[in-house]
Amino acid sequence: MSARYDAIIIGAGHNGLVAAAMLARKGRKVLVLEARDHLGGMLGDADFRVAPLPYALRPEIIRSLGLPAQLMGTSKPVETISFNPDGPSVTVLGARTIGLAPEVAQTYATLRARLGRQAKALGVMMLEPPPGLGKASLGEMTGLARMALKMRLLGKTEMRDLLRIILSNVWDLLNDEIGDGPLAGALAMDATLGGAMGPRSPGTVLTLLYRMASHSAHGHGLRVMPEGGPDALVKALSDCVTAAGGEIRTGTPVEKILVDQDKTAGVRLQSGEEIAAPLVLSNVSPKTTLMTLLGVEHLDGEFVRRCRNMASKGMVSRLDFDIAQAPTLGSGSTLQNGQRLMIAPGMHAIETAFNAAKYGDLPERPVLEASYDAAANRLCVSAQFTPHDLTGGWTDDVKARLSASVLAVLEDALPGLSSAVTASRVMSPVDIETGYGAAGGHWHHGELRVDQLLMLRPFDGAAQYRMPVAGLYLCGAGAHPGGDISGAPGFNAARAALRDGRN
Amino acid sequence: MTATAEPVAQVVSGLKSGPFHDRLVAHNRQQAWMNWMGYASPSVLDSVEFEYFAIRNQSTLFDISPMCKYAITGPDAEAVLNRLVTRDIRKLKPGRVAYCIWLDEDGQVVDDGTVFRLSETEFRLCCQEPQLSWLEDIAWGFDVSISDVTRDIAGLALQGPTSCALLKDLGLAGIETLKTFGIAEFAIGGADVTISRTGFTGDLGYELWIAPADALTIWDALMGAGKLRGLRVIGYEALDMARIEAGFLLPKVDFLSAQTVLRPDRANTPYELGLEWLVTLDKPHFNGRRALLDLSGQTPPRKLVAIEIERDKPAHNALVYHKKSREVGMVTSALWSPTCKRNIAYAWLDAPYGQSVTTDLWVEIYLQKEIRWQRRMARCHPASRPFFSHPRRTATPPADY
Ligand SMILES: Cc1cc2nc3c(=O)[nH]c(=O)nc-3n(C[C@H](O)[C@H](O)[C@H](O)COP(=O)(O)OP(=O)(O)OC[C@H]3O[C@@H](n4cnc5c(N)ncnc54)[C@H](O)[C@@H]3O)c2cc1C
Repeated sequence: MSARYDAIIIGAGHNGLVAAAMLARKGRKVLVLEARDHLGGMLGDADFRVAPLPYALRPEIIRSLGLPAQLMGTSKPVETISFNPDGPSVTVLGARTIGLAPEVAQTYATLRARLGRQAKALGVMMLEPPPGLGKASLGEMTGLARMALKMRLLGKTEMRDLLRIILSNVWDLLNDEIGDGPLAGALAMDATLGGAMGPRSPGTVLTLLYRMASHSAHGHGLRVMPEGGPDALVKALSDCVTAAGGEIRTGTPVEKILVDQDKTAGVRLQSGEEIAAPLVLSNVSPKTTLMTLLGVEHLDGEFVRRCRNMASKGMVSRLDFDIAQAPTLGSGSTLQNGQRLMIAPGMHAIETAFNAAKYGDLPERPVLEASYDAAANRLCVSAQFTPHDLTGGWTDDVKARLSASVLAVLEDALPGLSSAVTASRVMSPVDIETGYGAAGGHWHHGELRVDQLLMLRPFDGAAQYRMPVAGLYLCGAGAHPGGDISGAPGFNAARAALRDGRN
Repeated sequence: MTATAEPVAQVVSGLKSGPFHDRLVAHNRQQAWMNWMGYASPSVLDSVEFEYFAIRNQSTLFDISPMCKYAITGPDAEAVLNRLVTRDIRKLKPGRVAYCIWLDEDGQVVDDGTVFRLSETEFRLCCQEPQLSWLEDIAWGFDVSISDVTRDIAGLALQGPTSCALLKDLGLAGIETLKTFGIAEFAIGGADVTISRTGFTGDLGYELWIAPADALTIWDALMGAGKLRGLRVIGYEALDMARIEAGFLLPKVDFLSAQTVLRPDRANTPYELGLEWLVTLDKPHFNGRRALLDLSGQTPPRKLVAIEIERDKPAHNALVYHKKSREVGMVTSALWSPTCKRNIAYAWLDAPYGQSVTTDLWVEIYLQKEIRWQRRMARCHPASRPFFSHPRRTATPPADY
């Protein structure tokens, strides 16, 4: 064994970096090991970024790590433009909308304010470790208690409303309140993006609230592109690690987590090198961490079964189209850098696209989230409902077919785009899985579903970051509270490890 | 008046005929069949007393074909079994058998059974309850293959003082050198048979493992040789008496499998069952180890203890009291032991009774005399298990008797 560290973090995704920074700033000798040649995980590859819109980093984390406040604070919240095939597009920024009849806009604003309050109450739990099932300590219960209190503070009517809708589906909620159309489509996309759920799937109100629980200096649920873009965010995080004395090595895939006497002893790299540390935090998805890196022989059979059965079927493909200048919307205006364009003209279109994916097929018309990266001259597209377990597999032909159908859908909203494209790339959920070790290529490393949330995240018996082998922690998107670029799992996991270390 | 009715053939509805069924039918005067894993299995063939005394004084044949059997083979077979059971299977040499228990993740007993190590990479697990899906969970991720061979292997328990002599009569050269928990290959009447020196009676005895096609050949050879050795076919009831004396617990009677309980507090840890001698905590991870580690420092909330009862009436289903007044437990298996000449039982006692408090314990025995129930309080004392174990069980070579 070579040098000895207090803690090793496997994976330099943004969550791994947050965890590493937390530990290093508490004086721990920390080593981050990243398989790829770039930092930031799905956020970090400047050539083909999996996650192009990193809006959700929590301000508490920025404060706690002493990151520059302007990172998420100064830039303006970005708008979402929802394409409408039958009229002018709808532009949404929080409760404000453009392109809707005044009554609908008003109804939406009221609904949005209500959901916002409910999401905020829910958001209290995001930076708290989930309580244990059955034997929660008093400390663990405080998060739940605070959430319960926040919910009570919503008032009787709103709390009752929250309990009524929280497990239901956005289809019913939005149909009741605002009717189908591009506005509902944009909201339903937020509710389902990255998951194997359509607007009609139960639990999609919860996932919508989850996304709305994001927080920035501009308030709740608004989307803010970091100052300087994704790379600036990754750099700020990695600088924070190294400034605190942490080391980061790229191009060093970990092959095995070493165990001695039922305790974590360190890691073995693919190169054969072994590095000792009593504490290992894994940023890699739970399934890969436990089944591959740790090995089932260290785990109880029931635990392994629950891990194997964890839902993590990736549904999103990433496509990049290189274009020389900003794409033009039908209205004549151009898509701004970082602006979101949703092509999901209604909940019906989303549910229809999901239908095909349920049975392992590609939708004829995938629903899309697109953004323009002006620095790289590229349109970044997340194509929803392209299943990991595609019938017949992800061949080059299939990718070309997907690319063509995505381009056809884009062409409706951005006329003339096809002829402006100079190059394109496709990353399927399988590519994401092999490239990043995320089981199923799943956006959140594991489905955000009622049975995989809070004290059940990533699965029953594995919540609270601590794994059965002492000294091993999960610190990635698979852990509570889940995916997106929030940093919360990494933050919570590091705190759990620090707390345990004190005892 | 003349009787005109022909004897009506017994209809064993819904039950499968085992490999020895044709012979068992012929012996089964009582036609008292029970359901054992879907097989028609005799509970008594003739009379319990005769069958029981044959176990202790002569030799007996009991069809154990219904027992669940699993073949676990492959490069990781040892690792899989070591992960399954609480004993250190790495220490089990090829050609040996070990009695084992296995646990769920909470450290509660799932089942018990015997692990046969047939070679470095081939094992067989024999147990009471179906375990295939459990085994598949335990073996997931390992290079091993598991198959249910329950119906592919017929089994006969040949138990009793004259059992070795009987096998020698059949020309099984070297059988007398087979040690307790050893396995060896032989041929009887031209048919291959694997014999293990194992059993459920606490006495000298063997278990014979046979291809179902050869079952009757071997049965007939044994019965032929057994004439002079007092061989008797027995049913479950006589065996149950012997197993209580021998200190073996019975799932579903003395304890419930963690997988079958409906109430979470009904499953049992090895410590509660008095089976801590089967647990090796300092071996590589096995299922339930971490839970057990936590439990190992604690006093079990209740314990299954062997008790000896004063007076002679068997204490079936009796409640146990401290100072004749405070209810502290209940009896699961009970027997007036004809061999030990003692009134014995197993009882669940709530802590601290049976653990630190062992005096002034009473069982409440119900007796029926001509449709009148009577209640007797009889003093009982914790005893050590087993109640009966004969030196010839382990003597090698065993005497002929
Ligand atoms: C198609 C797609 C689009 C997305 N778009 C957005 C978006 O626009 N906005 C948003 O907020 N979220 C988005 N997400 C979600 C977001 O990318 C994830 O939730 C987030 O990246 C999770 O961060 P993480 O740090 O937990 O894990 P990851 O970013 O997955 O990082 C894990 C790291 O571990 C490394 N690793 C894996 N195995 C090993 C090993 N054996 N040894 C060493 N290192 C290893 C990987 O290389 C990687 O760097 C998207 C996800 C997908 C799939």
